[in-house]
Amino acid sequence: MKKALGIFIVFILLTTQFVKAQTAAEYQVKAVFLFNFTRFIDWPTTCFEASNSPFVIGILGNDPFGTYIDETVNGETAGQHPIIIKRYKTIKDIDNCQILFINSAESELIKPILGELKEKNILTVSDATNFASLGGIIGFFIENNKIKMQINTDAAKAASLSISSKLLSLAKIL
Amino acid sequence: MKLRDAPIQRKLMSVILLSCAIVVLLMSTAFIIFEYYSFKRSLQSQISTLAEAIAFNSSAAIIFDSPQEANEILAALAAEKRIVAASLYNANGKLFAKYPADLPNVSLPVKPGVKGFRFINGYLEVFEPVLQKQATVGTLYIKSNMEAMYVQLKKYMMLATWLFCCSLFIAYLLSRALRRTISQPILALEQTAKMISEKRDYSVRAVKVGNDEVGALTDAFNNMLTRIEVQNAEITSFNIKLEQKVRERTNELESANNYLKQQNDFVETILDASAHIIAVLDKDLRFSSLNKKGEELYHTKREHVIGKSYLEIFPGTNRSPAYTDILKALNGEYVHNTVAKSAIIDGYFENYFIPLKLGEEVYGVLILSHDITDIMEANEKLKELNNELEKSNRDLEQFAFIASHDLQEPLRKIHIFNDMLGENFHNEQNMRKYQAKIDQSAKRMQDLIMDVLNFSRISKTEEAFTQNDLNIILENLKNDFELLIIEKDATITYETLPVIPGIALQLSQLFSNLISNSLKYNDKKPSIHIATHFLSREEIKANKKLSPATRYVRIKFSDNGIGFEEKYSEQIFTIFQRLHGKQAYSGTGIGLALCRKIVENHHGIISAEGEVGVGATFTVILPITSAP
Repeated sequence: MKKALGIFIVFILLTTQFVKAQTAAEYQVKAVFLFNFTRFIDWPTTCFEASNSPFVIGILGNDPFGTYIDETVNGETAGQHPIIIKRYKTIKDIDNCQILFINSAESELIKPILGELKEKNILTVSDATNFASLGGIIGFFIENNKIKMQINTDAAKAASLSISSKLLSLAKIL
Repeated sequence: MKLRDAPIQRKLMSVILLSCAIVVLLMSTAFIIFEYYSFKRSLQSQISTLAEAIAFNSSAAIIFDSPQEANEILAALAAEKRIVAASLYNANGKLFAKYPADLPNVSLPVKPGVKGFRFINGYLEVFEPVLQKQATVGTLYIKSNMEAMYVQLKKYMMLATWLFCCSLFIAYLLSRALRRTISQPILALEQTAKMISEKRDYSVRAVKVGNDEVGALTDAFNNMLTRIEVQNAEITSFNIKLEQKVRERTNELESANNYLKQQNDFVETILDASAHIIAVLDKDLRFSSLNKKGEELYHTKREHVIGKSYLEIFPGTNRSPAYTDILKALNGEYVHNTVAKSAIIDGYFENYFIPLKLGEEVYGVLILSHDITDIMEANEKLKELNNELEKSNRDLEQFAFIASHDLQEPLRKIHIFNDMLGENFHNEQNMRKYQAKIDQSAKRMQDLIMDVLNFSRISKTEEAFTQNDLNIILENLKNDFELLIIEKDATITYETLPVIPGIALQLSQLFSNLISNSLKYNDKKPSIHIATHFLSREEIKANKKLSPATRYVRIKFSDNGIGFEEKYSEQIFTIFQRLHGKQAYSGTGIGLALCRKIVENHHGIISAEGEVGVGATFTVILPITSAP
């Protein structure tokens, strides 16, 4: 009995470790994807205060990327705009940002958040389930162990973002 | 066969065919090369455009890591048959997608290359960077074959070959047609020329065909023939005249030659009749002439010396005065040598070296040599006789001077004692004494006269030499001196003496005088030794008074007598020279002078050495072979 309990504990420990490792690799890829969106999506110039004001990638709620996303964008630009990372605790903290990643842990908040951000020129990204169907622009999902994208073109249009057809050809269009 | 020697028809055809071939070949080559390059250029631009489109489309697939999408994009290349391979590399240079999907990785580049295209092994390879918003996110590689181009080129080549053959055939037909109008008239002209040269019939004329260059040539040829005909006639008549003239000249030359030959013979006869050597050398010192006297004296033949150099014929003359004189004459100097000893034969010549000139230039030397050997020899003999005469005169003078003194002395005594005899008639004892003195003086005078006669006789003797055994002469003398030897208790020893040529009486006199001197000038018991020694060649050579060609014997007479002072060793041989008073030793003073005369008569030498109170040695050296 005791033995069976021991084995179970070890198993639990091992699986959580595995999941943790896999999660880290997954978020590294997602961080790169976030950065690469700047290359395939055009924002209206009006959403920047000046031609050299920063391009902000915001993270709402818990930050799953750690320092990796900072390293990815370090020194990079989107056009003339230097890319910076901002982390927001609550929806109220959100100021002028161009990409907003919403952690899947905030899934119950997604609807109000999206309602708040509607009409703003913000590319909303999340790995929450059915994010695009809920009105988000790009939702990540896993298929065959690969990170895939679902794009809500109506939401993008509403946010005045033009997405490259090359990016669209890689994603599921809603 | 060389093209130069080919018939004109052939040349014509060759030129047409060759130029045609060259034109077609050049054009085809230029066309194919142009096609090759334009094809390449178009292929390159087509593939580049394609690569740019594919690269543009594949950026998202690379960035968002979708190899499936990338492969699909590449699969679109299937529409383009020329593309044999394509691949995509991500930003890290790792192979990301490929076309065709089943292509093994090894046939693709491991790493992406720099942007651009290359033609390698019949393939065109293109590397095109995949850009997204100016950032390079990957590289596209496309490999295209150029088979289409090669197929096209092959078609062009076949076309060119066909064109080449056709144009050659047409050119051949053309050249055949041209033959009639160009080469036919030339051939006709050639036939005519051949016929003329074979038959030598210059009246034939060529037929003119047209008014082109060949027509002009035919006209010129016909004109030439006309002129040849005229000139031939002229030459024939000129030849006849020339032959006539040659005959005349030949006759003239012949008579001139005959005259010259006669002259030559005449000169040669004169030269050969000459009592002098006459020779001519050219400027290289080669004999060009030598007369009979020369042949005679040089013991040679004309044929042996003519054309050969002087030094070659007479080696060893290159230091002789004659050679120097020849060189002087070659420089234009007239040389006359009244007496010259010949370096060639044993004799004397009077020489003339006369430069032979043509204008200022010396072309040879005339040598004229007069043989004066006989005259020189006669002269020599005369000189010798003269010397002898002079010596004889000197001897006579000396003789007269001394004789007058020595002969007067006993005469004066006789005179004095005769006076005293007249005053002493009464004293018989004194008379006898004076009579004895007169007798003694007369005896001495007689001795003197005898010796003087002997001496003068010897100087004039020209008796023939005979072989004399000196041993016999000495034995006879010992007999003659027997009484004196016993009286003085003397001993005479001698080594075996040789047989020598000479006059017996004189040799006997020589030995007698020397032995009697040794016996006479001695205050002890006389001991005389006679030693014999045959002189070696070295010893003969060392003595300048002896002839090196003759063999000599040396005979030494040594005694233990009173000797003489060294300083008198020469003086004692002078006539009437006495070293001692008459009172001590009797003698006429002629003996040793006589000895010297005898020895000299026999071509020998005599010398003396001595030491007072110890003894004297007389050395006589005489030839043992007949004098030359």
